[in-house]
Amino acid sequence: MSFITTYCHITDRNCYLNGKLVASFDPGSSDSWLKQLYKFNNVTYPKFYKMDTLSQCGYLASEFIKASNPDRFTSYADDRIAMVFANRCSSAESDIRFQNSYEVLQTPSPAMFVYTLPNIVIGEIAIANKWYGENMFAVLPKFAPDFFINYAEILFSSGSEAVLAGWLDVTEVKVNAFVILLEKNTGGIKSNIVNLTELIEEAFT
Amino acid sequence: MDNLKEELKKHIIEQLNLEDVRVEDIADSDLLFDQSGLGLDSIDALELIVLLEKFYGIQVTKPEEGKEAFRSIETMAQYIRKRKTAV
Repeated sequence: MSFITTYCHITDRNCYLNGKLVASFDPGSSDSWLKQLYKFNNVTYPKFYKMDTLSQCGYLASEFIKASNPDRFTSYADDRIAMVFANRCSSAESDIRFQNSYEVLQTPSPAMFVYTLPNIVIGEIAIANKWYGENMFAVLPKFAPDFFINYAEILFSSGSEAVLAGWLDVTEVKVNAFVILLEKNTGGIKSNIVNLTELIEEAFT
Repeated sequence: MDNLKEELKKHIIEQLNLEDVRVEDIADSDLLFDQSGLGLDSIDALELIVLLEKFYGIQVTKPEEGKEAFRSIETMAQYIRKRKTAV
């Protein structure tokens, strides 16, 4: 049996961990919202600044989940932590920026180009943590609890022991990330479609 | 003060999004692709090639040239001067 043991929700202005508010956008700061969250998290990872917003958002959610229980991930072998993410807009934000770099600015940027695939966020989290587990990124019309629950079960049945999963919808004007940690035999919220739907409804309303 | 080196440092910080790095943090002899220096990676190397073309009109066409030129700010400045005088 698997459980939802931690969940993190990042919106345009707030960040919640297990349903509790942990950080809010400071309109007086010159930093972007995601940069504010990076500084709030007190993690030093300079590569964060080079990431596109999709990767920044996924990285931050994973760091908040890790920070809620620092020992949790070290108990797993590096190839037993899987990742499954999805969103509605793929890497459209970076695609547009890259297109602008060569069409308007006339200087195509390699650093932008590398983010013109949505699954790069998984690579960034994997590199930051040295995780080598299974992973996949899906582009779906909307958040689908059954997709995450069913896919996680497949991963658990094939050797994964923890699954970091979630919805990462990030555009120029909107941030909506909901990331969960699923684990086997740990206790917590039972991992099923009804419970995940409830968490999502609670978070998104 | 060498204006070209200072200018290069500013461009690198800006183009490579080195948010926590200031011009005065980079020594002219720091190894750009070593963890003891700026710790740049392969994508950064491509950005440096773009930077040279964008700001100095220099195209790096020979890989072996780039390897030496991008060792440090010092070698980058030397490379730019050499290419400019060769025109």
